[in-house]
Amino acid sequence: MMDSEKIFLLFLIVFVSISLLIVAGIVTSLIINSYPIFLRDGFSFIFKSVWNPVKEDYGILPALLGTLISSAIAISIAMPLAISLAIFSAEIAPTSVRGFINSVSDLMASLPSVIYGLWGLYVLAPILNQYIMTPLHQYLGFIPLFSTKPIPTNLFTAGVLLAIMITPFSSSIIREAYNAIPHHLKEAAYSLGMTRWEVIRTLLGYIKSAILAGAFLALGRAMGETVAVAMVVGNTFTLPRSLFDMGYTISSLIANQFPNAEAYSYMMPALYSGALVLFTIGLIINLAGLYWIRRVVTRG
Amino acid sequence: MSWAIEVQNLNVWYGDKHIIKNVSFRVPKNVIFAIMGPSGCGKSTLLRAMNRLLDLNPHARVEGQVKINGINIYGDNVDVTWVRRQFGMVFQIPNPFPHLSIYENVALGPKLNGLVKDKSQLDELVKQALQKAYLWDEVKNDLRKPASMLSGGQQQRLCIARALALKPRIILMDEPTANLDPVASSKIEELLLELKEDYTIIIVTHNPQQAARVSDYVAFLYMGELIEIGETSTVFTRPSNILTEKYVLGRMG
Amino acid sequence: MRLNKRKIIDRLMLGIISALAIASAIPIFAIAVNVYSEGARYISLNFLIDLPPPPVGGGGGGIGPALVGTLVLVALALAIGGSIGFFTGLYLSEFSHTRLAQYTQMFLQVMVEFPTIIVGLFAYMILVAPLKRFNALAGAIALSIVIIPYIALNVREAYKSIPYTLKEAAFSLGVSAPIAYLRILLSAARRGVLTALLIGLAKAAGETAPLLLTILGTTFTYFGGLDQPINAIPLLIYNFALSPYEKWHQVAWGAAAVLLTIILAIFIVSRLIVKEVKV
Repeated sequence: MMDSEKIFLLFLIVFVSISLLIVAGIVTSLIINSYPIFLRDGFSFIFKSVWNPVKEDYGILPALLGTLISSAIAISIAMPLAISLAIFSAEIAPTSVRGFINSVSDLMASLPSVIYGLWGLYVLAPILNQYIMTPLHQYLGFIPLFSTKPIPTNLFTAGVLLAIMITPFSSSIIREAYNAIPHHLKEAAYSLGMTRWEVIRTLLGYIKSAILAGAFLALGRAMGETVAVAMVVGNTFTLPRSLFDMGYTISSLIANQFPNAEAYSYMMPALYSGALVLFTIGLIINLAGLYWIRRVVTRG
Repeated sequence: MSWAIEVQNLNVWYGDKHIIKNVSFRVPKNVIFAIMGPSGCGKSTLLRAMNRLLDLNPHARVEGQVKINGINIYGDNVDVTWVRRQFGMVFQIPNPFPHLSIYENVALGPKLNGLVKDKSQLDELVKQALQKAYLWDEVKNDLRKPASMLSGGQQQRLCIARALALKPRIILMDEPTANLDPVASSKIEELLLELKEDYTIIIVTHNPQQAARVSDYVAFLYMGELIEIGETSTVFTRPSNILTEKYVLGRMG
Repeated sequence: MRLNKRKIIDRLMLGIISALAIASAIPIFAIAVNVYSEGARYISLNFLIDLPPPPVGGGGGGIGPALVGTLVLVALALAIGGSIGFFTGLYLSEFSHTRLAQYTQMFLQVMVEFPTIIVGLFAYMILVAPLKRFNALAGAIALSIVIIPYIALNVREAYKSIPYTLKEAAFSLGVSAPIAYLRILLSAARRGVLTALLIGLAKAAGETAPLLLTILGTTFTYFGGLDQPINAIPLLIYNFALSPYEKWHQVAWGAAAVLLTIILAIFIVSRLIVKEVKV
């Protein structure tokens, strides 16, 4: 006879197994469905720049580069902001408004990406175009990065929008680590006669694992983001030559091309294998992030 | 003579660490039986082995027998919930369910275990339990208020009432006064002497004076081994082991 | 002199940090202002229940089908993903010493960061391709999968936060494990569990990418069965915002105002739950 404890344990394990099966299923579905194109083209398909459904010829290099460029822009803008926001709420702002700041930051992190996309498309993109991209192109156009005459939706706009989206997420990881610094360390730093900034700089060194974790996990999010990017990136399949080129990211390519894919025999595998590439890169980055998070947790 | 509980060759391991080493003893009915010893000697573990609360700890492994009414609680086909219902347990930190009211804290056990037929029976049982725990007069007008509003001593008596409401045969107490002030502590000790009429009480304490004050029988546990056991008056006046002597004379931490 | 320089640097750096911090918070306020100034004027009872307007001509129209779709999808996702996530989280907390729990937790932490469009691809494979039709169930399953790791990890935290001594107290009452966990301790962890469900709710209500690949997004039909295509508010915003019609852009802003309101409401409720005086 089984007692209720064992039945309950089994019951729970059923649900755990479902969760695990889903993870396994997702990975399997990516592999199975991308298999045909790997079988036909090998890995060359990743490094080709062509999207020709009529000839059933596909290569995702532009989208891969678009993903890397837009998320690189995003992370380089987001990290200084995220660190500043974390320190501001944990150290500088008056205690009475810290809760409010954290709430605003958490709200930003939980806003649906389609709202960011809508706002990015109709508000952010024109502003960036008029006040940042056009002047940069006019005065610094000789630098290859700014060489394309900008239109509002392009890789740069996507990068900035992504930066706005990931800053609060990254900031909350850093903030938590900063707040978890033992009080005696802060006291020790101040007792050495350090200025506030010097204390902050010292403590930032103490939590650098958390900052790395925040950067990696935010980078992973930026690379996987779909709809917000799809709305502002321009969705044009060309190899980007400057930051102001319209482009694609892997996820926006999937979002855009998927409705057509059923009509062709290799487009679906091409999109699934794009997802597999994205998944693999994202997995490595997120595992790195989790590794650094664990460092934060275990040291304390 | 029939025994309230018989412990035979009990061993407990946490992982590789041997915590309780081949302990055997028997407790008569309607007495206060104290298990005393320095902190870390395994007495809390021994207590939790008696009602199989140790099952909650995935690293703990138990060998040996614990018998109540001749039934080995570690035997096959023994329902662990039945085992736990034979005991009421009171913990070192007063731990009423903070989100429940005073009434609900006491009523929860009988309700979930189907000990009562209707609301009026439940009310009566709660009242009796609170009266037996010397708490009724202090809380009878605040039964619906959260348990967290009570003082530490009151919370501990509420936990005793919660244990009594299960109608157990044996009450296990894990250093019930360790976190209370002296006034609240002596109130609990008085209560113990009263409860002895109806229950067998096994109390764990690191304080030899407390064992001397309240218990009829006492066991001295040291590093997982049962060093000495006997009537309290004997153990405290003519200890047969030098370790016990050092301990009861307060020369051991 | 040296001290002076340090002080200047101190002031300067604190100023820069504060300025950057404030700058990083500007977008949320800009978004709220823009969404409500562009969208709030379209919101009315009719906007919530009517069909969208035709792209040109006709009246103001509404987002009825998308709102119905979102309600259906979110309810299903919360029922399916909520229960799987809850019991998974309970296992992760209470059997955290097992290998199974440790691996599952690691997988879920990775799964939280999966691009959601990949979840859409998975749901497409298992539910759209076999049925040869975009359908509501595929969308609901995709949303369930998206929220499972959030709910599981947060439920785990909720149960982990219960003091061990309360767990002992619960089991010492001689009740079975399901009763201890689901009756006594669930109410001790209710705040965290509720927060977990609200996080899942907000995710499911706002998620767009997996829906692109699963429900397609009908424009002029309401709910027609779980095996039929359906629409959702975020998907409507996406499709209408990218459409060439000015009128649909307006509907997209109105829908964004509705969605933002829903998210804000969930957010405020969850803050109140957390803030509720700890007893």
